Amino acid sequence: MTVDLLFSWLSSLTSTIEDSSILLLVAIIIPCVALFLVMAVNAIVMVYVERKVAAFMQDRVGPMGQGVGLHAGKWGLLQTVADALKLLTKEDIIPEKADKFLFILAPFVIFIGAFIAIVAVPFGETVIVADFNIGIFYILAMGSLGVIGIIIAGWSSNNKWSLYGGMRSAAQIVSYEIPAGLSIIVIIMLTGTLSMQGIIEYQSGGMGNWIIFANPFAFIAFLIYFISVIAETNRTPFDIPEAESELVGGFHTEYSGMRWSFFFLSEYANMLVVCAVAAAGFLGGWHSPIPGYFDSNGWGIFWMLSKIVFLIFIMMWFRWTFPRLRVDQLMNVCWKVFLPISLINIFGVGVWTLIFG
Amino acid sequence: MIKYFRDIWESISTMMTGLGITWKHMVHIRRDNVTLQYPEEKWPRPERNIGFDHSNYNVIRSRLQVDIDDCIGCLKCERACPVQCIKIVTEKAPTRGEDIQEIGHIGVTSNSSRKAMVVTRFDIDMTECCYCNLCTYPCPEECIFMTGGPNAHKHPIDYEFSEFDRSDLIYRFAKPGTKEGMDKLKPTEKVKA
Repeated sequence: MTVDLLFSWLSSLTSTIEDSSILLLVAIIIPCVALFLVMAVNAIVMVYVERKVAAFMQDRVGPMGQGVGLHAGKWGLLQTVADALKLLTKEDIIPEKADKFLFILAPFVIFIGAFIAIVAVPFGETVIVADFNIGIFYILAMGSLGVIGIIIAGWSSNNKWSLYGGMRSAAQIVSYEIPAGLSIIVIIMLTGTLSMQGIIEYQSGGMGNWIIFANPFAFIAFLIYFISVIAETNRTPFDIPEAESELVGGFHTEYSGMRWSFFFLSEYANMLVVCAVAAAGFLGGWHSPIPGYFDSNGWGIFWMLSKIVFLIFIMMWFRWTFPRLRVDQLMNVCWKVFLPISLINIFGVGVWTLIFG
Repeated sequence: MIKYFRDIWESISTMMTGLGITWKHMVHIRRDNVTLQYPEEKWPRPERNIGFDHSNYNVIRSRLQVDIDDCIGCLKCERACPVQCIKIVTEKAPTRGEDIQEIGHIGVTSNSSRKAMVVTRFDIDMTECCYCNLCTYPCPEECIFMTGGPNAHKHPIDYEFSEFDRSDLIYRFAKPGTKEGMDKLKPTEKVKA
């Protein structure tokens, strides 16, 4: 969509360049740079918001300052920028006994996993880099690439804590993919398509048509999907792979500076991706809640982003409310609660569509 | 089987309770906030109750301050100091009780005593000061005092003075250039004589 539009626009601009493969490359690179900027801005803004939300929930004020200068700007608005600059200028430490190649590779694998998943996320009717006909399946598949990076990071650090973190992460993400995928199947059953735009198209016409309100089973599917993706993105209360207090950061214990910030960037990008899938799959994507009002293309981006931000806020709310689960509790919730309920869900949705429509 | 569903229900309801608590704290942050933005905001100082009217008896322990225009250079505070943190150097004034325009010396104090000496150096090292207040009692002109208390109208209380360099904690109260000015004045005096 966006690539095609850019390509045709560029071709109309320059009739002198005969070789269209260069234009295609440019048309691919421009949206990718834009997506990278979206990821970076998302990380910077969300880190600030997360710190503020955390502080407010604990009766603190979070990063604060009274003006640009020695302080971090009004209300500490420049705190994340200052932190990012600090991370960029920090020394790059690679442990002596670490597997250097894998140690350097791991952050990039995680980052690429998050980055190529975001490609298929629709931000508007035409604002989507690649509208695959298997979009939601593609996002699920690419979202799980990150776990490989986490295992590589845990292994190559040559550190017991990191290895524990990587192993726990593998077990956790592989387990929680199943209820998340089974909940996505509910969407696919209702819409009959795997394309992200097709799924959003199905939900046009106001709040009542959103899949989350389509039937009670879909609502349960949304809850299961949302809780499962919190576990997939390694966030509290499912953050046992990172577990500051027991694993000292888990798989990123040995990382510092820019490499460490890649993990952070990817964590927030993963949050963006899974919340975008939840917003597109259950909450109507870029459709306005009221049909006909604010439903133009520009408002579409606004609705999509506000739905994503709302879901990310709920993730933060969860993080600062619930304590971390034990490993056995985590597996118990996944295999004994979510899996049977989501299987029943699929059956229930099938019966519901058979009876009511 | 019933226990299974009861457990699920219990976990969901207790989760909602927890979320409600954090939500309440988040929306009432302005009321519940416990953080003080320290340099901009300060806790109110408590009322001082020392058993007698402290408006005429200053025992406040804060930073020492000298009104150098009132100082007659009698060295009583320097002698009273148990830790020798006050260093005073004086020179004889050319004429008693007369202003010296060049160095900004004022001849008569606010108590209308005529000054015989010019204070060229009046240093108080607050890193050494033990806040005993003993220097303030002998002062005949009441020009050395702790800031705040009865003198708050002249100098508001300063109990949190801090500097980046230790030497900045030596407070120099003599007017800058007094010593150089006196050195310049001396030879002209001799020529006149």
